[in-house]
Amino acid sequence: MASALRAAVLRYIRVPVAQTLALNGSKLSLFNTVRSMSAHGDDHLDKEEVIERVLDVVKCFPKVDPSKVTPDVHFQKDLGLDSLDNVEIVMALEEEFKLEIPDKEADKIDSCHLAIEYIYSHPMAG
Amino acid sequence: MSASASYLARRAVQKERVRILYRKALKDTLNWAVHRHLFYEDASILREKFEANKHLEDPETIDRMIAVGEATYDKWRHPDPYIVPWAPGGSKFTRNPTPPPGIEIVYDYGKEDND
Repeated sequence: MASALRAAVLRYIRVPVAQTLALNGSKLSLFNTVRSMSAHGDDHLDKEEVIERVLDVVKCFPKVDPSKVTPDVHFQKDLGLDSLDNVEIVMALEEEFKLEIPDKEADKIDSCHLAIEYIYSHPMAG
Repeated sequence: MSASASYLARRAVQKERVRILYRKALKDTLNWAVHRHLFYEDASILREKFEANKHLEDPETIDRMIAVGEATYDKWRHPDPYIVPWAPGGSKFTRNPTPPPGIEIVYDYGKEDND
């Protein structure tokens, strides 16, 4: 019964060929780009991207005036934040770049410049 | 002079302890919160607890408050915290490591030269 129904349905269904071809084509182009087999460690961020994403995170912080944010800005001296805000920004940066910064090192990051340097030189930043 | 220097050094140590305690506690708050909007509320409660003792002056009192804070943090520490996958304890720690230098994968897919 079910097989008869299936045959009847399949007889009347036409799958447009062009679409599947396009799908295959896109898949092929995905695999043609050079991909390394290793999951981490070799696709490194470039500096421009790090700077842009760090500045985005800092600008999104509620207590910060976005127009004041530059790559050299100091969180507490220039942006008028306190030390706890500094901790929150560093944690936001960790989440943005999927990092785990040890507490003592994270404590020393107090400016955009240091954050950019640290994240750029970190092998696991992604 | 040395008394004020030692006072300042002590204050610096206390400030660092507070920053690190706040950082750990904030991360732990994120571990306990299953949704982001819950985390925001918990985080502002945590922040208020820290802000409440912002203007303490006496170093002894501050030391005591920090000890209380650290004890509270220890008591409520999450048993299964979120760990970034590649970090020690994470799900990808030492999995699929980078191949040693000099070893290369050639993507010929069966079209080698000697065929």
